[in-house]
Amino acid sequence: MRPHIIIRYIGLIFLFNSFFLFVSLLISLYNNDSGIFPLLYSSIIAFIFGIFPLIYVPTPKDITTKEGFLIVVLSWLFTCLLGMVPYVIWGGEFTFTNAWFESVSGFTTTGSTILVDIEVLPRGLLFWRSATHWIGGIGIIIFALVVLPNIGHIRAILIKNEFSSLAQHNFIQNTKQVLRVLVIVYLGLTLLETIALRLAGMSLFDAVCHSFGTIATGGFSTKNLSIAHYNSPTIDIIVIIFMFLSGIHFGLLFYTVIGNKYNVFRSGVVKFYFFSTLIGVLLVTLNLYFNNYFSFFGSLRYAAFQLVSLSTTTGFANADSSIWPSFSIMLLLFFTLQCACAGSTAGGIKVDRIFILLKALKIQVKKFHHPNAVMVLKVDNKSVNPEAVNNAILYIVLYILIVFISALLLTALGVDTLSAFSGSAATMGNVGPGFNMVYSLGSYSAIPMAGKWILSANMLLGRLEIYALVSLLYYRSWR
Amino acid sequence: MRLKYKIISGFIILAIMLIIAGVISVFELSHVGKSVQKLLDENYKSIDAANNMIEALEREDSGILLLILGNWGEGRKTIHDADSVFLENLTIAQNNVTIPGENEYIDRIRISYFDYKNIWIRPIVGTSKEGDIKWYYDNHHQSFSNVKLMIKELMILNQNAMYKTGSELQSRAEKAIMPGIVAIVAGIIFSLIFSYFIHYYVISPISKMIKSVNDYNDYNKPFNVEIETKDEINDLANSIKKLFIKKSTDLKS
Repeated sequence: MRPHIIIRYIGLIFLFNSFFLFVSLLISLYNNDSGIFPLLYSSIIAFIFGIFPLIYVPTPKDITTKEGFLIVVLSWLFTCLLGMVPYVIWGGEFTFTNAWFESVSGFTTTGSTILVDIEVLPRGLLFWRSATHWIGGIGIIIFALVVLPNIGHIRAILIKNEFSSLAQHNFIQNTKQVLRVLVIVYLGLTLLETIALRLAGMSLFDAVCHSFGTIATGGFSTKNLSIAHYNSPTIDIIVIIFMFLSGIHFGLLFYTVIGNKYNVFRSGVVKFYFFSTLIGVLLVTLNLYFNNYFSFFGSLRYAAFQLVSLSTTTGFANADSSIWPSFSIMLLLFFTLQCACAGSTAGGIKVDRIFILLKALKIQVKKFHHPNAVMVLKVDNKSVNPEAVNNAILYIVLYILIVFISALLLTALGVDTLSAFSGSAATMGNVGPGFNMVYSLGSYSAIPMAGKWILSANMLLGRLEIYALVSLLYYRSWR
Repeated sequence: MRLKYKIISGFIILAIMLIIAGVISVFELSHVGKSVQKLLDENYKSIDAANNMIEALEREDSGILLLILGNWGEGRKTIHDADSVFLENLTIAQNNVTIPGENEYIDRIRISYFDYKNIWIRPIVGTSKEGDIKWYYDNHHQSFSNVKLMIKELMILNQNAMYKTGSELQSRAEKAIMPGIVAIVAGIIFSLIFSYFIHYYVISPISKMIKSVNDYNDYNKPFNVEIETKDEINDLANSIKKLFIKKSTDLKS
């Protein structure tokens, strides 16, 4: 283990963050707001910590898998630490705990906020909040890898640690091309949504911030009432489309656009994602309509937005879903757990694992009738390794166990059952809003301080897909 | 980069961090100072003036009671002195309007005070008002309470503003402390990284070279130290290598 190599790469991530802090600073300078000093100081600190290791540590010829793992995990932790600096210096509602929560929520693209009044924040800080989503959305390592020279297996090792094995499944190219695809899709979707929102009447600043929040499936808004502030069906539709697209494997999106035969229309997982979302939207719409909440089109509009928002782990809101009928709330909770496809910016259990679980269940039922039959689990006509199936099932079990444990801890702190469970599920899945105390148009400000630390840990566990963060605790495995 | 510049860069960076934190803290602290001054100048001055007005008003009230009791000399002197104090403080309050709407409060005090003054400026001693407690309660006391209420409203307005400035002061103080705390934490982390780099890229290679030179002297082992960096340490290792090669060549010949 070479600590200096790890420090060098974390430094590179800091340099990348310092660029966004500097852009936020320029926005604050332009608006002459109270974010100037916090952002100036933070960008200088980020730059210093970024450039210094580059001065000392020469480019390594290669890195080991363990080093790659530590670079990825520590980059996330230190980036979250760096991200809270402008918040704590600015003050206001940002205590140390609140700043950490907001920063982790930003980078992990959770979008849960502790702010009661978002609109009092200076524009520079609002931009930084949204930028943390955008940086974290694709994985903070990915951007650094694009500018990194391809020496040895550095790129391959880092991308392997940053990306889950499920996400790598749909890529049919080498590491360099995968990076290119990811960046093209990410930038392309962001640009397209910004233009669409601008045309729909949003200010350029809000359009950029909301695009960052959508494509990264984050959910930080510049408004207290999130997307409900605009009360515009056009904006709702644009955001729904881009939230849904951001929940699909980026590689598949790219292959679809370039006309490759391996595309979204042939993917079983994407089909499952599409139809499960469609069924969910229809059920919630009918439930709202028949309970006289809204007109049919009103029910469809709010149901589609809220369900897609939660199922893609974005967390924007155009209505207060916590006052909806219990059936709708239960459905939304299911989608908060299931979430979108691997290889997208979404968190959660992911459709891919649910898809594998359902197929494995089907095989088990068949085996019950034909005990001697040899059956292979296939996804898109490709057989899935039994170890991958076991991993997927184990992950789902572990995921739900963590959600239950954190919900239990929250209830011990005095949080009510629905808030505790939905808050735990929403943070673990990097979704954002839950129900009751942590409802879609509210914030996590009422959660006790210890609860905020538990939920921050949930966000990191969810983002790093549990194992990476847990492995960090096994000191012996470092050597 | 040469070792000299690497080491200097470490110290320069530390200095930059401390200077920036210092500048921000000084800036915020100067704002705290200004807020304190604002608190004293703007709000406290008006509150003090309002207090003096109430005190003067109560002395005037005592003077009127003396007049009703027929004590003309002492009564008029008390009223005259209190009136001067009242008007003096009313002018102070008038010249210290800092809160939106404060002017209206002062105007209302002035008008109600002159209404009040109209009651006692006319002769009391030797008239039917002397000893007339009913007249005191019906005319004088109501007017007196009215002026007092107006002054209290001015006082409350300034107290609220003072509380607001106090909260701003607290927030400013926190803002002044935070860059310092961040600078200390960042400075400690930076120093640790800097020390590690100095140890890894300077001290450790020198130790390796010393060991290798000793091994050459004691066991005639070849000098074999690999240096990762392209700086003075690398030059030193190359020079020692060349020296040993030359020495070995000389010994062979």
